[in-house]
Amino acid sequence: MRLLLTEDDAELAQSLIDRFRDQGYEVVHVGDGIQGLQAATAEDFDAIIVDRMLPGLDGLELVKAVRRVKTTPIIYLTTMSGIDDRVRGLEAGGDDYLIKPFAFEELLARIRVMTRRQAPASAKLFAGSIEMDLVARTVTRRGRPIELLPQEFRLLEYLIRNADRAVTRKMLLENVWDIHFDPHTSVVESHISRLRGRLNAHGEIDAIQTVRGTGYRLLASN
Amino acid sequence: MRPIRIFKAESFRFAALFALIFLSLTGALIGTVLWIVAGTERQTLIAANETDISTVRNGLRGEGLDEAIEVLQQRLGTPAAAVSVSERFVPEAYMVIEELSGKVLAGNLPFVRCGANDFTIVLPPLAGQRDSRTVLGQCADLTVTTRIFVGRDTAAMYATRARILHAFAWVAVGTCAFSILGGLFLGRRFMARVDAITQTCERVMAGKFNERIPKRGRDDEWDRLARAINEMLDRISTLLENLQQVSSDIAHDLRTPLTRLRNRLEAAREQPPGLEAYPAVIAHALGDTDQLLAMFSALLRISQIEAGTRVQTFTAVNLADVLQRLFELYLPVAEDCGHLLCRDLYPEVVVRGDAELLTQLFSNLIENAIRHTPPGAQIRIELQRVNGEALAAVIDNGPGVAPEDRDKVTRRFYRGSASRTAEGHGLGLALAAAIAQLHGARLELRDAAPGLQVITAFPLQS
Repeated sequence: MRLLLTEDDAELAQSLIDRFRDQGYEVVHVGDGIQGLQAATAEDFDAIIVDRMLPGLDGLELVKAVRRVKTTPIIYLTTMSGIDDRVRGLEAGGDDYLIKPFAFEELLARIRVMTRRQAPASAKLFAGSIEMDLVARTVTRRGRPIELLPQEFRLLEYLIRNADRAVTRKMLLENVWDIHFDPHTSVVESHISRLRGRLNAHGEIDAIQTVRGTGYRLLASN
Repeated sequence: MRPIRIFKAESFRFAALFALIFLSLTGALIGTVLWIVAGTERQTLIAANETDISTVRNGLRGEGLDEAIEVLQQRLGTPAAAVSVSERFVPEAYMVIEELSGKVLAGNLPFVRCGANDFTIVLPPLAGQRDSRTVLGQCADLTVTTRIFVGRDTAAMYATRARILHAFAWVAVGTCAFSILGGLFLGRRFMARVDAITQTCERVMAGKFNERIPKRGRDDEWDRLARAINEMLDRISTLLENLQQVSSDIAHDLRTPLTRLRNRLEAAREQPPGLEAYPAVIAHALGDTDQLLAMFSALLRISQIEAGTRVQTFTAVNLADVLQRLFELYLPVAEDCGHLLCRDLYPEVVVRGDAELLTQLFSNLIENAIRHTPPGAQIRIELQRVNGEALAAVIDNGPGVAPEDRDKVTRRFYRGSASRTAEGHGLGLALAAAIAQLHGARLELRDAAPGLQVITAFPLQS
C-alpha cells in the first residue's frame, strides 16, 4: 500500500510516517500543496492524506485539481471543525474528513476502509456464516433467520462491508447514523451489544470483535 | 450648525430644485397670460381706432371733406386751427386728416405721412418725462387726395403688462424665499436626525457599545432606520460579548482540567508508579486531553453557531424525523442505563433549520436526561403543534433542576449543585440554547413535578 501524505507540520508528518511504516505502508511525504499536486498526478497511490491548510496550494484546491485526473481516495486532516468546512471539503472531492487532533488508530481505520477493494455490486453480502440480502432486507446466520431493526441492519451492513477491518465508533456514528459529533453516552456500545445478542443468540462464536482503544471488527471467518 | 452644511444637505438641494421647477412653471404661465392679454389689448385698441375712422368716414359720405374735418375736430374736442401736438397730456386718441402730399388738414399731430395699414409712430416724451410715446394707429383713404390716421397711445397697454410682470416678480421672490426657508427648516430637521445617528455611531466607534439611536416613536422612515441600526448594533454587541465570553471561558474554565492533567503528569514523574501502572497513568492523561479537546470544540461550535452564518443554508426540516431517528439511536443506551425512553411525536412538523444542528440540539437534551436521572427514570420525547408553534420537549421524572438554577443552566460551564459530580463538560445545554436561538426558538426549562421538562418552541413555517 502506498500513501501520499501532504502535511507541512514536520513533526506530525514524521510521527505519521513512522506509524504507517510500522503498519506496513509505504509513505511519500511532501510539505506543500504544489509538490503534493505534482506527486498526486504523476504517480499512483492507494490513498492521499491532505492537510487542509497547506503552503503553496490550499488543500481544497489541491483536491479539486487531483479529482480532475484521478479517483484515488482522499482524506483531509484539518483543524477546521466547522460543519461548513466539512461539507465544502467533501464537495471538493474528498472522501473523508478527520479533525485534528485525532488518534492514529482513527486515521488508520479510515484509510483501511477507504482502500478496501470495492466488492462487485451485488444484492447479497456474506461474512462467514452471516448472509445479508440487501433487497429482501433479511439476514441469516447458518441459515437461521435473524430479525433486525432498520438501524441494526444498517450497522451490520457497514460491518460486513468492512469485514476484518477495524472501524471506530466515530466511523459508525457518521456512516450508520449520520451523526457528526461526539455523544457523551455509549450509544454505539449499546447498539453493538444488541446486535451481538441477535447474531449470537444460539451460542455461535461472537462475530463482532472489540478492538481496544479503537472500535469493532466483524470477523469474516465466523 | 454651520450654514455651509445646510446647503450641502440633500433636503436643501431638493427644496432648491423644487423652487426652480416652480419658478419655471410660473414663468410659463405668466408668459401665456401676458401673450393673451397683449393680444386682447391690441385688438381693443385697433377696434377703437377703426370706430373713429368709421365715424369720420360717415361724415365724409354725408357732406364731404369739410364735414369729415368737422367730425374729427368734434371728436378731438379742439378747433381746426389748434392743430398741435399736446405737450402736456396724452389725448384719448391721435387723429389726423392729411393730403397725399403730406399736408395736414386737421388733427392733433403735426405730421403723419402714413403708409401701411397698421402704423406705429414714436413721439417725443411729454414735458417732464423721460420715455418717448408710442402710438399704434390705422390709416385709411378718405377721398382720392386725402387720408385719415387714427392712433392711440400704447402706454396703457404696456402698463397692464408691467403690472402682471410685477405681480409675477413678487410671486417669484415669495416662492424662492419660501423654498429656501423651507429647505433650511427641513434641512435642519433632517440634519438633526442624521447628526443624532452620526453621533451615536461615533460613540459606538469610541467603544460605548451600549449606545443606541433614540427613537421618536413616530414609526416613520427615521425610526425605521434607527431601529435597523439599533438592531445591527445589538447583534454586533452580542457577537462581541460572545467573543469575550469565549475568551474568558477558555482562560478560566480550561485552566482547571489543564491543571489536573499537569498535576497528574508531574506526580507520575516525581513518584514513578512502576512499569505496570504506567499504561493507566497514560490512559488517564489521554482521557484528560480528550476531555479538554471536547470542551474546546464545543466552545468553538457554540461561538460558530452564535455567529449565525448557518442561517443561510437553512432548509425545511421535519422535526418528527429528527426526533424519531434520535429516539432509535438512544433507545438501547437508555435501556442499558435502566431508563424507560418513550416518544409521542406528531407525524409532520416542518421548521426551517439545519438538520445537523437540530440533531445535536435534541441529542444533547436527551443525553442530559439520560445522564442526570437515576436508573428507573422515565424519559419522554414529545412533539406537538400548538398555536402556530412547534413544541419539542424532553421530559423526565428525575430529580429536576432547582428553580433558582433553571435560567443559569444554559450558561456555559454552569452546573447545578446536584450535577456537579456527573460527567460532562457543562456545555451541553449552552450549545442547545445557542442552536435554539439560531433557529429563532425558545428554550425553556420547566418543572415536570417531579422532574424536568426542557421545551423548545419553534416558530412554524406559515
